[in-house]
Amino acid sequence: MTVRPARLPRALAASALVLVLPLAACAGTDAAADGDGSASSTPAPSGASPTEDAGAATTAPAASGTRIEVQVTGGQVAGDTGRVPVAAGEEVTLAITGDAADEVHVHGYDLTTDLVPGTPAEITFDATIPGVFEVELHDAGTVLLTLQVS
Amino acid sequence: MLLAHGVGSRTDLPIPIGFALYGAGAAILASFAVLLLFWRSPHLGGADSGRPLPAGLQRVLDGAGPRRGLQAVALLVTAFVVLVALGGPEETSRNLAPWALFVTFWVGIVPASLLLGPVWRFANPLRLLHRLLRPLGPAAPGAHRLPALGLWPAAGSLLVFVWLELVYPDRSEPITVAVFVLAYAAVHLALAQWFGEGWFAAGDGFEAYSTLVARLSPWGRRSDGRLVVRNPLAGALATPGQPGLAALVLVLLGSTAFDGLTRTVWWQTGPGSANDWFSGTVGLLLSIGLVAGLYVLGTRLSGRLAGQDERVQPGRYAATVIPIALGYTVAHYFSLLALDGQTTWILLSNPFGAEGVDLFGTYGNRVDLTAVSADVIALVQVGAIITGHVVGVVLAHERALLSARRARASDQLPLVLVMVVFTLGGLGLLFGF
Repeated sequence: MTVRPARLPRALAASALVLVLPLAACAGTDAAADGDGSASSTPAPSGASPTEDAGAATTAPAASGTRIEVQVTGGQVAGDTGRVPVAAGEEVTLAITGDAADEVHVHGYDLTTDLVPGTPAEITFDATIPGVFEVELHDAGTVLLTLQVS
Repeated sequence: MLLAHGVGSRTDLPIPIGFALYGAGAAILASFAVLLLFWRSPHLGGADSGRPLPAGLQRVLDGAGPRRGLQAVALLVTAFVVLVALGGPEETSRNLAPWALFVTFWVGIVPASLLLGPVWRFANPLRLLHRLLRPLGPAAPGAHRLPALGLWPAAGSLLVFVWLELVYPDRSEPITVAVFVLAYAAVHLALAQWFGEGWFAAGDGFEAYSTLVARLSPWGRRSDGRLVVRNPLAGALATPGQPGLAALVLVLLGSTAFDGLTRTVWWQTGPGSANDWFSGTVGLLLSIGLVAGLYVLGTRLSGRLAGQDERVQPGRYAATVIPIALGYTVAHYFSLLALDGQTTWILLSNPFGAEGVDLFGTYGNRVDLTAVSADVIALVQVGAIITGHVVGVVLAHERALLSARRARASDQLPLVLVMVVFTLGGLGLLFGF
């Protein structure tokens, strides 16, 4: 996987945790602000991107929420993979394109949809349950991404 | 299903960094407060402390009737779960067996033992089967070897189970549950035939786990055999110093730490990205090894500073790590029991997935994953880690005073620092770096 810049503040905050600890607890306030800021700003780019995508043109209202796109080719997952943060209550659209027939399963929310090769499969739902949830291909057992709703 | 623990549809959010930092600060402050400000001579009651329960109640509890009755019930429930695993729906999400084993039983045994005492020693169905099978074989030719083995067999037994729960790729399949339960019963019954009934306390991982957690329950048995209500800290310190006690505690602590590790982005995209049995096995063994190494180092260093025999130190302080391991367990599995644990009860309404069956009218229910809010989960997690830490440090302090009346605070520092490392590590895993 490529480096995700969004992780950087998080990693810094984590190392700050180790370094700052012996000093004083009040140092935590700054680090907390950093951590929160990075977490809430990350979803914006992925949500703003879909305008040029042909499939998204018909679902224009989804622009208000987060759109997550994943492509599966030969068992390799590309796109918005890894840990994808989403704000609780937001409308989330998962668009999955694959080269093999399978079933997409969003754990926790327990949503499924059939994946037909070459056709983007979309699931739209309101992310109302906080937690970390896997989105996986049921038959292949491949984890596409983990959705972090907070 | 590829989630870290045996089964589950979700994992916890990373705790807010403020929680992590304040928790860490509190742990460090509490440690030094205990060392410098707390009592300077042994303070907690020993193995003779506690207020006896009424003699009549003790007669009932110690009688064979309630024991055999509960063991029979547990045997029936276990047989039922195995039948469902073999004959119920093939999908994990529709078969209650994996949920019953990995969530209701394995996680539920913790609060049950903490509140009620060593419940699985009391209700262990293998003890009942052993009573029935015992006349068929030789009269326990290996019984005299048990004291030397101590709790090492239980530590090994639990290591096998946590490997199944956290590493084995097909862990959540119903058939895995059936094979595991039947194999577990066969192996332990055979060993009990050789070692005698004492095997279950020494070698049955689940019973040893329940007994270990119950050390922190308000119930205990005084050295004169009376059942008593007492300060859980006194109960923990009165834990008999058996060989292998430290190993048992460290397997629990290390495996829970590994479970936390597998939920981090670092593990999932780094060393554990293959998500196979090899990376899992290595990770699990390294986690336990790391925790054990730190513990042995801390206790031996403390012993050296105090001028005591270093070799007895790891065993001497083993009980003081029980609360830390328990804190880890609560932090990592509380939400699993409260949320995904609902699945067992929903599926119980139609265990074999038959058409039109809905015994309790709950089969159509969905698990309510919002029953406990993310904030409450985070508070419980940090609270459990910090409470476990504080209790552990207090126990270690008292233990040091018991082994040397005029123990200096500085002698205890290495072990306390190791405990601080465990706690910061635990918070770090919850924070998910």
